[in-house]
Amino acid sequence: MIQPTPAQRAQFGAEGCLALPQALPAELLAGVQRAFDRCAEEAKPGWLEGVAKGKAPAAYFDLPNPLEREPIFLDLVAHPSYCGLLLDFTGGELLFLWGQFRTLPPSPLSYVGWHYDVERSNPLHLKVQLYLNDVGEDEGAFAYVPGSHLPDAGPYPLVRRLESMPGHRVFYGRAGDALLFNSYGMHTSMVNKTPRPRKSIILIYEQRTPAQVRPERFAALADRLQTPQRRRLFGLE
Amino acid sequence: MAHLDAHVHVFAKASAEFPREVSPDMPGHAEATVEQLLGQMEKHGVEQAVLVQAGGAAIEHHAYLRRCLVEHPRRFLGIGLVPAGETAPAGHMDRLAGEGGIIGFRLFTLGGPADPLAPMDARTFATYPIWKRAAEKDYVIWLYPRAADAHLVPYLLEMFPQVRVVFNHLMVCPGEGSFSLDEKGRPRIEVPMPPQTRYSTLGLKIGRILANTRGLHPYENVCVHLSGQYAFSKEPWPYRDLAGWHASLHMVMRADRLMWASDFPWIAEDPGYGKLVGVVDELLPGLGQEERAWIMGGTARDFLRFPPSANG
Repeated sequence: MIQPTPAQRAQFGAEGCLALPQALPAELLAGVQRAFDRCAEEAKPGWLEGVAKGKAPAAYFDLPNPLEREPIFLDLVAHPSYCGLLLDFTGGELLFLWGQFRTLPPSPLSYVGWHYDVERSNPLHLKVQLYLNDVGEDEGAFAYVPGSHLPDAGPYPLVRRLESMPGHRVFYGRAGDALLFNSYGMHTSMVNKTPRPRKSIILIYEQRTPAQVRPERFAALADRLQTPQRRRLFGLE
Repeated sequence: MAHLDAHVHVFAKASAEFPREVSPDMPGHAEATVEQLLGQMEKHGVEQAVLVQAGGAAIEHHAYLRRCLVEHPRRFLGIGLVPAGETAPAGHMDRLAGEGGIIGFRLFTLGGPADPLAPMDARTFATYPIWKRAAEKDYVIWLYPRAADAHLVPYLLEMFPQVRVVFNHLMVCPGEGSFSLDEKGRPRIEVPMPPQTRYSTLGLKIGRILANTRGLHPYENVCVHLSGQYAFSKEPWPYRDLAGWHASLHMVMRADRLMWASDFPWIAEDPGYGKLVGVVDELLPGLGQEERAWIMGGTARDFLRFPPSANG
């Protein structure tokens, strides 16, 4: 399992975000892409029905119950490219909460503005976003305001256009790249102006607290989580 | 400053003089006359209003609306309808607007791909000619799209930044099968609030934590009605379950892009017009006097270019 270098540890502490190029090796990435597309094809009619009924957002398409559907997705949760970093940053008390296996249709409007996910009173909340396709300029890349996770950060202006946020950094990347970020910080998805949807997987973790340990959350996966480390990561024990 | 009601309906009984379509919520014998509306407005300090066509989209169906606009040119402006499938929408729009008073047109569908992942070209949308004409003639688009059309809206806003757009009824886009009539015969929309369509129409992550987002609506040519609460709320007046969504809209749109509206006549009996005049105070209790003045009339007056008010 890869541990953070001193430079990564310092950067994560100061900026709240780390780019992890080629976190997924090519063979694994190809398998994940195939599984993702397979699930998306199966789930798309249900999503479109939900969109028409106003019960599902058109602005993004999340695979339903992905971890139960494809064993390869389960392997992503504790992948050594970033799991060691997550464990380090949470003092070894890492809990996986859920994942978003997300297709982002093109649109002139991003589905999210600049936002943070949790208040700082929440235990440390971390996300790993894995690009499943190359994400260049105007392709809905992840963006973060370095340092915005810090207690004395901000205030940040109300901006009409995402690119107007002072100090932000856009993380273009290749398929298989990962971004690890502290969800206290301001982040967004930039506008995808291309005709191509952006596919990514967002894995959501938190520093383990008794309140968040809910064995029922991943009970359906219990028979596939056999090691004590895995069972602890998924909150089964 | 007197209030301005930014979305009401008036209609006469169906007749040869005032032909209209009949429907379960607007049977032929039903009427909501301009005199009834004026009585409520005067009683509650509302000086002007936007009359929105109901009862059919054909030119002749607009007869009662046009009569009201002619008789009260300083009180009312009007919003017309364009028939679905109209092959020459520009001519229809110009004809209705040409006689004065009708400043815009209401759209319920946009006519683009229902699949958000399909290739998008706004010029192929069925309503593109309507938007194009609105841009050419400075007509307002009165927007109440279905959920299936919500993702098409940004393409049109991007293409027509010069067109003034008013999102009706809290920016809700009703889903297929969500519409019914309540026991009082008025529209009832079953929709999760805040609406799932907000990700397409608002473009900001609003909902779970109100204060976590730092952004304004990207399109300054767009306003939103604070109206229709009775149809979406699961509670009686003052519809407190919608307070969070009102706060979100206020934060993202700001007061000078929000318009209070009653949706008369559907609220005339329950909860009553007077209570609707107070709904903004109930659901946005922290508003300052200036912001309140914008929402209760200033925004609509400026954005829709109402004539100076006068009784007549």
